[in-house]
Amino acid sequence: MSDYTLNKLKAPRLLYWGIFLFLGFLILIGLASSAYMEHEGHYVTGMNNQIVWGLPHIFAVTLIIIASGVLNIASMSSAFNKKLYKPLAPLSALFAIAFLIAGLIILVLDLGRPDRLIVAMTTYNFKSIFAWNIFLYSGFFVILAVYIWSMLDFNVNRFSSLVGKIAFGWRIILTTGTGSIFGFLVAREAYSTAVLAPLFIVMSLLYGTAVFYLLLRVISRLQSIDIPDEITKNIRRLMIIFLLANIYFLILYHITNLYISKQIAVESFILLNGGGYTTMFWLGQVGLGLVIPLLYEMTNDEGRSFGLTITSLMALVGGFFAVAVIIIGGQAFPLNIFPDHIILESSFYDNVIHSYTPSIFEFGLGVGGTSLALIIILILITNLKFIPAKK
Amino acid sequence: MNNRRHFLVKSASALTMTFIVPSLLSSYAQAKKPLDQKVTDKKSWGMHIDVDKCADGCTACVDACNEENGLTGFGRPETDSQWIRKIKIKDKTTEKITTMPMLCQHCENPPCCDVCPTGASFKRVDGIVMVNQHTCIGCRYCMMACPFKARSFVHETLSTQNTNAPRGKGCVESCNLCVNRIDHGSETTACEDACIKAGHNAITFGDLKDSNSKVRLAIESNSPRRLRDDLNLKQKVFYSNI
Amino acid sequence: MLRLLLISLLIFVCMTNLQPSSAHDGNPHISPGKSKADSQEACVEPTDVMRKEHYLFLLHQRDETVINGIRTKNHSLANCIDCHVSYDEKGKAIPINAEGQFCQDCHVKTATNITCFSCHAAEPRYPNHEKTISKDELKEISKIAKRIKDE
Repeated sequence: MSDYTLNKLKAPRLLYWGIFLFLGFLILIGLASSAYMEHEGHYVTGMNNQIVWGLPHIFAVTLIIIASGVLNIASMSSAFNKKLYKPLAPLSALFAIAFLIAGLIILVLDLGRPDRLIVAMTTYNFKSIFAWNIFLYSGFFVILAVYIWSMLDFNVNRFSSLVGKIAFGWRIILTTGTGSIFGFLVAREAYSTAVLAPLFIVMSLLYGTAVFYLLLRVISRLQSIDIPDEITKNIRRLMIIFLLANIYFLILYHITNLYISKQIAVESFILLNGGGYTTMFWLGQVGLGLVIPLLYEMTNDEGRSFGLTITSLMALVGGFFAVAVIIIGGQAFPLNIFPDHIILESSFYDNVIHSYTPSIFEFGLGVGGTSLALIIILILITNLKFIPAKK
Repeated sequence: MNNRRHFLVKSASALTMTFIVPSLLSSYAQAKKPLDQKVTDKKSWGMHIDVDKCADGCTACVDACNEENGLTGFGRPETDSQWIRKIKIKDKTTEKITTMPMLCQHCENPPCCDVCPTGASFKRVDGIVMVNQHTCIGCRYCMMACPFKARSFVHETLSTQNTNAPRGKGCVESCNLCVNRIDHGSETTACEDACIKAGHNAITFGDLKDSNSKVRLAIESNSPRRLRDDLNLKQKVFYSNI
Repeated sequence: MLRLLLISLLIFVCMTNLQPSSAHDGNPHISPGKSKADSQEACVEPTDVMRKEHYLFLLHQRDETVINGIRTKNHSLANCIDCHVSYDEKGKAIPINAEGQFCQDCHVKTATNITCFSCHAAEPRYPNHEKTISKDELKEISKIAKRIKDE
């Protein structure tokens, strides 16, 4: 695709409005859910004083991880100078912006006091990873905007490679920050390890690439984009590498925890006797998300596009389970306040495995937020020239 | 006009006598710190809990805390706030069963304050760890970070708060060592009062920097420990005979 | 025509805003019930300062109180409520953010939202005693309020 132009999406009118209204409807449901949650208070959700972060956070963290990951394609073009991906780079940066907005909106709408967003933006405690992340996210946003501008405007095109490299560096730091939200929590045994930061980075590489490929497939359904076989083959190879990297860091994470004897209890909870969480871990995160796609792709050496679509879908669903196991599983296991004692009674559930049943409102908020990412992409690619085509 | 003013000033001072002075007296007349002075680090509030004296089944401290801070639940134990709670534990080796109150441990190095993005979780110079509910955005990161599960999130609209303990939906809250009483000169917390009144004397509150304070004497005569010592958070709530 | 309408509307709004509606200005306030403030000549600062800047005092005091433990009465919200809250004939406090009451009345007129009372008690409420005032005290307040009205 050495000789190409960028076009607007020209989807059939009816189809465009169909998708637009459908996504808009889901966004309205999301807004209504959030308004209801804020008005009534969080008791209407499945979250409580035991499971303080729930389904909205699973959605938000997944989307933020994806936001960093979908930039892979652009990074390969700008940071690693692979000409093959250059036509797709603006699209990749656009996806990153859209998913970042969606993830952050969900986080904000789940706050106890979303009306005080201005406080969060003006009052900082620089010791808090959250406060760093506010800078990392807003910085990423600005860098991406400049990056897209530099790629699309011929006059500043010479800077695009530099800005692309900055964006690449920034996204690595950003995902480190996201992982550190959990990694620096000494109180919770499932979390307090720095391995979570690289684990989140390889997760972002995998899910981001999967999402990029899926969206590319959807767009090429609406308007024929000529995706060269080479790209499909490369993405397949990348997926295999990312799947292996994920398996590696996942094993590293659990081996680390198993080696620290005080953390064995929480490990056996996730790996062996955690009921639903164990199932989610083995069937969802490991089976569906990592092992089956890996085996499938290793045997599917043709690099067929349909196979890759299935792999991407599986990796993505597995990724959702992975984030769920980390966020909910880590909280469900009770705190180890008394290492030398067994807690017999407590009015505050100190001695029980906490259960979590998400409410329809949290789900609505998550789906609404995800739809927001998609509608932003839809609007921008139909109105601006993002889609590559042969000259 | 003048006449009226004169009358009003007179009656106003009379009214001051009837209304304002008694309300001052009824709280803490023997104010230690003048009300207009900032708190200083000359004091460091702390608590000692002698677990052996804590009676199984007694919830006097919990009830007193709920009364003092207006913590009325909604009958939904998973989301209702608890600033102090009773726990019963069994030693894994000696099998000794003990019961004791759990509350915010008021760490010297509080993880909740480290993670709070807006600085709403903060440690006052006199060592009280509390939430500035004017800047709390309700992200609950502090609840994720607290190793003692000391914090609660207000899950519902409240309407019967006490004047001395403002609290509301969407913010995180926890024990603040009855900060309002202390600032008005009290040297006891509601839970300590209740524990003494119930005849158990398990809770001792006071100034850790004053070598003659009752809490210092209790600590020195008991050799207590802090919970989760391995985390090195240097809490100001000490437990003896666990 | 439209401009004329707008100008007259503006004048109307200004005039209604200038109309005093609370105590300390010769007119006893019109809220149901009687408050201690009805009987006072002035608030903790001159009335026009209070009317415009009370929120600044409160904002300043709230940080001083929460962070530094300063508990002076003058600019504390609890003290505002103690004095401005109205009591009904039975001597029971009416929440100050109830319709027509001191805080709410003015804030509705100026279309500003008060968020204080989502957390703060809107009437004096202390842990160990119900805050009502005695019949005699109530009578005293009413008498003074009536006298101001008559003069």
